[in-house]
Amino acid sequence: MSEIDPAIALRAKRGDEQAFIEIVEFYYPRCLRFARNMLGNDQDAEEAVQDAFVRVHDSFPRFREDARFDPWLFRILANRCRTLMARTKRHRALIEYGEVPASAAAVEVDQFGADWAEEVQVVLESLPAEQREAFLLRHVEDLSYEDIAAVTGVGLSALRMRVKRACDTLRARLTEVEQHER
Amino acid sequence: MNDERDELIERASLALRPLPRVNAMATARIVAAVRARRAQRPSALRLVLDGLSGRSLSLASAGALAAAALVIGFVTRGAIGARDDAAPPPVAPATRGAEVPARPAADVAGVVRAVPVPIVFSAAPNATRVSVVGDFNSWDAAAAPMRRVGKDGPWTATVLARPGRHVYAFLVDGATLVADPRAPRAQDLDYGGAASVLMVVAP
Repeated sequence: MSEIDPAIALRAKRGDEQAFIEIVEFYYPRCLRFARNMLGNDQDAEEAVQDAFVRVHDSFPRFREDARFDPWLFRILANRCRTLMARTKRHRALIEYGEVPASAAAVEVDQFGADWAEEVQVVLESLPAEQREAFLLRHVEDLSYEDIAAVTGVGLSALRMRVKRACDTLRARLTEVEQHER
Repeated sequence: MNDERDELIERASLALRPLPRVNAMATARIVAAVRARRAQRPSALRLVLDGLSGRSLSLASAGALAAAALVIGFVTRGAIGARDDAAPPPVAPATRGAEVPARPAADVAGVVRAVPVPIVFSAAPNATRVSVVGDFNSWDAAAAPMRRVGKDGPWTATVLARPGRHVYAFLVDGATLVADPRAPRAQDLDYGGAASVLMVVAP
């Protein structure tokens, strides 16, 4: 996956608005993909991405000129996703307390048969957040383990274990799905 | 430990890789939010400068300096509060219809008064100048000129508005009032043109 020209990040750091716009336009689709895969809905994903870019803008004075932009951006975005997940979790707890049937949507999907991408998304959402994050950064966003360590602040061996566990779960559940459909 | 790649994981990854469709206004909203944050800080500085010139200068009082210190403190906190793990940004983007929650800016006396509200307008691609006019700036065409995002992108501006309901419109090329297509239309058209409603919500 290509990275933006470091000169553009430096121009943005120095206050060039056009460079900042170039960064937003370059990274927005990837950021939205990551946030959607992490959060599972478009509205929260758009909010997370917008917040992340505003924070990128505000934090540029602390961005080191010799640092790479991709891991820095994804660290900020991953933090925003974690914050939104915590908020959503609290919201869901309130809804469940109010006895609204939370599984209605899942039943509907089962009745009509979800396609492969939906099945993958459902299994992905069932993973613990830290495994989902590590899997997405490695296998969808194509970051190296070293970059993922910079994004998450987690050591390399722990990250490899997270990705392995995520893959094990995906493999087991998706195999079940495929056998069920045959 | 290997990378756990196999055919099934590869197919699962591929299913998650298509890039989503991006809302055409997404960049403009981010740029508007960023401009609003920039506008917020200089506006507080302007209060300091205003406070130290003219009337306040003639007072030459410790009170004026204390007021300036108060505002500088506000600006400093704003700058420090921008850590990526800190609270949400003080300027809320105007993305959800016309209801804009935002953190109030404090005036010199520390009283909550108005909040910076980013405004985005994309319905005048061929205009040469656009300003946003409304209850918050006394419909003054010169108060809030809009700037384009890039060379020919949407227009953005930041207005300071107190929490509550405001009627507003866009003045295109100094001649035509245009309502905001993304906001509810105002029914109380007592000034004789198309207009929209903005609800600014205090946190």
